[in-house]
Amino acid sequence: MTTAPADWERVLLPNIEKDETEWIDAYMGGGGYDVARKALDMKPADIIAQVKDSGLRGRGGAGFPTGMKWGFLPQGLYPRYLAVNADESEPGTCKDRPLMEQRPHTLIEGVICACLAIESEKAFIYIRGEYYKAAKVMQKAVDEAYEKGFLGKNIFGQQGRNVDLVVHRGAGAYICGEETALLTSLEGYRGYPKLKPPFPAVSGLYGKPTIINNVETIINVPFILRNGAEWFKKWVHERTTGMRLYSVSGHVKKPGVYELPPTVTLKQLIYDICGGIRNDHELKFVIPGGSSVPWLKPDQIDVPMSHEGVAAAGSMLGSSAVMVMDHTVCPVWAVANLSHFYHHESCGQCTPCREGSAWMHKILRRLEKGGGTMEDLQTLRDIAGEGKPGSGMISGKSICALGDAAAWPVGSALSQFWDEFVEHVEKGGCKYENKRHWMANGKFVNERFENMPVL
Amino acid sequence: MLTILKERTEEIEKVAAKYPSRRSAMLPVLWMVQQQEGWISQEAMEEVAEVLGSTVAEVYEVVSFYTMFQQKPVGKTHLALCDTLACAVCGSMEAAEYLKTKYGIQKDKVTPDGRFSLEYVECIGACSIAPAMLVGEVLHGNLTPESLDRIIASCP
Ligand SMILES: Cc1cc2nc3c(=O)[nH]c(=O)nc-3n(C[C@H](O)[C@H](O)[C@H](O)COP(=O)(O)O)c2cc1C
Ligand code: SF4
Ligand code: FES
Repeated sequence: MTTAPADWERVLLPNIEKDETEWIDAYMGGGGYDVARKALDMKPADIIAQVKDSGLRGRGGAGFPTGMKWGFLPQGLYPRYLAVNADESEPGTCKDRPLMEQRPHTLIEGVICACLAIESEKAFIYIRGEYYKAAKVMQKAVDEAYEKGFLGKNIFGQQGRNVDLVVHRGAGAYICGEETALLTSLEGYRGYPKLKPPFPAVSGLYGKPTIINNVETIINVPFILRNGAEWFKKWVHERTTGMRLYSVSGHVKKPGVYELPPTVTLKQLIYDICGGIRNDHELKFVIPGGSSVPWLKPDQIDVPMSHEGVAAAGSMLGSSAVMVMDHTVCPVWAVANLSHFYHHESCGQCTPCREGSAWMHKILRRLEKGGGTMEDLQTLRDIAGEGKPGSGMISGKSICALGDAAAWPVGSALSQFWDEFVEHVEKGGCKYENKRHWMANGKFVNERFENMPVL
Repeated sequence: MLTILKERTEEIEKVAAKYPSRRSAMLPVLWMVQQQEGWISQEAMEEVAEVLGSTVAEVYEVVSFYTMFQQKPVGKTHLALCDTLACAVCGSMEAAEYLKTKYGIQKDKVTPDGRFSLEYVECIGACSIAPAMLVGEVLHGNLTPESLDRIIASCP
């Protein structure tokens, strides 16, 4: 079923352009916290059933069904914790920041509902260190909610019902977005991921059962409880339901964060919603779900932006972050940029990820500068594989999925643009006019800087 | 003996009380130090260890893991310019070049007058307003030569 644009409802960020924070009075004026109050009288199993029924899937990247995850908690083990993942560091992704800055109380209400569902009395929001404003807004909103008695002991005046919420700031480490690393970081250590199992639902924060969910996942919960699962399923493509936030960046005319149904196609998103490619350049490739996922070429973008649609095209929806590259972008340079990221962010615990990401980065830089060989390309292929789960020397052979995330873009770039890699070897480096070896070389790709005074 | 954190013990106890384990206050207390001092010195790490009941090695282990914790003094205003893909293709290196040629602000250096320091960082979650930079605690996107001029002029 495809809904017409007239039925697209901006639920999460209706006024994103205004960039205003909705404080508690405004929120309550629109019926805010009514759902949490209602949820207090519901059985936890009934809340979980509604969430399950809505088909809500995690918005942090993996798309795991939220209700099912909540159902994994072992019976009778307490205390339990909820950790909201606001680390948002997957390159391309920039949706949780406006959610926290603009709708902090909706998120808090979501936290209360989720805590009631999973029978937790303590929740944490782990916000990446770079989000100073989001952390300040969240802290102030949490203080407001405590003052009203919506958080803390005996919430909404109900004896014995408690929900504590702590705003916790990270300090710059992509890996802390990985759920087990987030928990070790929250415990006050280096953010090292842990081998699973045990899964956090069984043994998580301080060794206790813990549920970790993305900001956008949690913020959807009050809407589902208020309007019902059927309402949420109005927007559906196969097993992807609800309106969702797409972060669009790169070379489109109107980059931004857009709230759309999963039936919207990648092509519509780029050309209709975002106005097409800047300067009417040609589209070179698209990264459809955050920097970790395989790349798509222009003939692969006529697919719905659902988990299933993007998978059918050979990539992943991930965190719904779309990075659009025009023909001025050298694919070898682009993947070298990303490999720098993964090399920098690898926590170093596993040899395949630590060494593999370093090797890939070094080889890609060599290809760019000149001096790369065909043997280098083979080594890259051996390490990165085909850009699919389990192939190559890293994917599936490391503690966490950062290893996979480092390999997939390289494997996919090799498959999609093999000829250009070979050209880099044959021509002794990058021949793109806009090539930049980690520093501007006097050519300005960004028109805003074209007339830059050279002093 | 506390010097750097002398005035802040009450605040620290309040923060620590939020968590089931005292060790969880590590990042919040390190943030307090950095916000007060601008960076985290050896002496500060010793004090954090004392306050939290950890060893200095444990504190250093944490400080050295997280890129936002500064182990050297930075400028009055610290600039964190994103050079990950979305920003890189929208001109972050051009912005860097502009800062260097016009204002003498260079990567990993503090300007001689101590006003600015600059660091290239990985994606700061502002990809749709690339190129983006954190100016102290404030995020600026869609950088242009004009906006950079305004930003620089507005800093102390
Ligand atoms: C390297 C790595 C980084 C991640 N970064 C984030 C992140 O920044 N934000 C996020 O919500 N999930 C991130 N995830 C996914 C989390 O591990 C986890 O699956 C997610 O927070 C679960 O929430 P959800 O089910 O609501 O999506 C990351 C995973 C990996 C492997
Ligand atoms: S895969 Fe990489 S980031 Fe993940 S635990 Fe291993 S070394 Fe660390
Ligand atoms: S790539 Fe620069 S903010 Fe995301």
